[in-house]
Amino acid sequence: MKGRIFILLLLLSAGLSCRNTSNKADQFVFPEADSVPVSEAEKLSPEAIADISKNISSPVEIANLLQMLEVPFSPNYIASSIDANKQSTNFDKALKMGILGADLGYLNMYEKTGSSLEILSSIRKLSEDIKVGQFFDFETIKRLSQNYSNLDSLLFLSIDSYTQIDNYLRENDRGQLSALIIIGVWIEGQYLATQVVTQFPDQMLIDRIGEQKIILNDLLMLLVPYCNLGPEYTELCSNLQTMKENYRDVKITYTQGDPISVEKDGGLVITQTETSVVEMTREQLNVIIETTKNIRNRLILNN
Amino acid sequence: MKKYISTILFLLYIGAVSFGQSTDPLVSNCVMNAGNNGKYMKDFRVQLGKSAGQTELRFKANMSLWKNTKYRFTMCNSQDSKGQLIMSIKDDGNKEILSSYDSKTGKTYPFIDFICQKSGIYQLNFDFTGGQQGSGVGVVSVIK
Repeated sequence: MKGRIFILLLLLSAGLSCRNTSNKADQFVFPEADSVPVSEAEKLSPEAIADISKNISSPVEIANLLQMLEVPFSPNYIASSIDANKQSTNFDKALKMGILGADLGYLNMYEKTGSSLEILSSIRKLSEDIKVGQFFDFETIKRLSQNYSNLDSLLFLSIDSYTQIDNYLRENDRGQLSALIIIGVWIEGQYLATQVVTQFPDQMLIDRIGEQKIILNDLLMLLVPYCNLGPEYTELCSNLQTMKENYRDVKITYTQGDPISVEKDGGLVITQTETSVVEMTREQLNVIIETTKNIRNRLILNN
Repeated sequence: MKKYISTILFLLYIGAVSFGQSTDPLVSNCVMNAGNNGKYMKDFRVQLGKSAGQTELRFKANMSLWKNTKYRFTMCNSQDSKGQLIMSIKDDGNKEILSSYDSKTGKTYPFIDFICQKSGIYQLNFDFTGGQQGSGVGVVSVIK
């Protein structure tokens, strides 16, 4: 009996060790078409690109805001029409991986984890197609989704997989795909916020949409080196440029103040008293809502 | 004995199910310790050698933080670190907004809750106390 248990423990620990050393990245050979001329990729330093990718508003933050405002979950905002089997180019695959990644974050935050399985399998297909499937532990994520429990682990694994993919693509001269994933995440997050605001016009949500002006320039900088890679890249650049234009007259002003700190439960609680104030007219908001909807809906059309 | 072994097997299973992919148990433990009401968003893995004497925190990263959001920054370090992981945040005008290290008392805080009222891009700075060598992770969560 003791012997059997020992073997069982040994097998289990071997299984765990295998999972932890499963970086199979060097087994893949990437097609030439994915590589970008060095001069193009060098327009921004790797550190600057890494920073920009961390600056993009996370779908977790947007979903958190929606929950705070007690906005109910709606499946209508999800890009469920995307068919992973019908995406023919790496451009489409990467962009849609981003869009579906944002949807996955939204579903997870609302604990609609059972509904996320379809999206997960689409992400799996797309990530395998662009040769980054090794960074996604689909089986574990799927199991966590089915168990309706351990949301932290689920969020961690999902987000960490995207972070690893992002790092890997940038380190392997496939930065254009990393940029597309990040832009896909942002567009879908922006779509979610702008659709919700039409039904629940809360000032906090309106402000969050206006504040996207802060990162829009960074987002464009991320894509600019690739604008001439092909017609689809050129069109996306032009769409983001239009979006930037929509934000031109949105104003963000700041008030001064010193942070207040209080010790609580062994940690520190800091309340900022400095504030940012968004000045955006209803017309400006409507144009942003409409542009976002048009761009996003065109992007999720299947080829 | 059987009970004991079942418990070990159960814990191993939970570990495998929860964080099957994570390559770094330090990160996964830190995420789990970030508190029940927080939702994981990002992490910054910090590995530094002994400082040559500079006073500025050495590991720097930018991150956008949004108004009306409560963030929790949790710092964890590996057991073999010589110092404790500390962090500070500066705004785009280089003004320090917060620090997990009180230089007057020498006290370090394992986590900081930050109620953000000004959207913008902030600089997150990490180091180990006394400029010591160490390995750690800063986990960012959002709190409802």
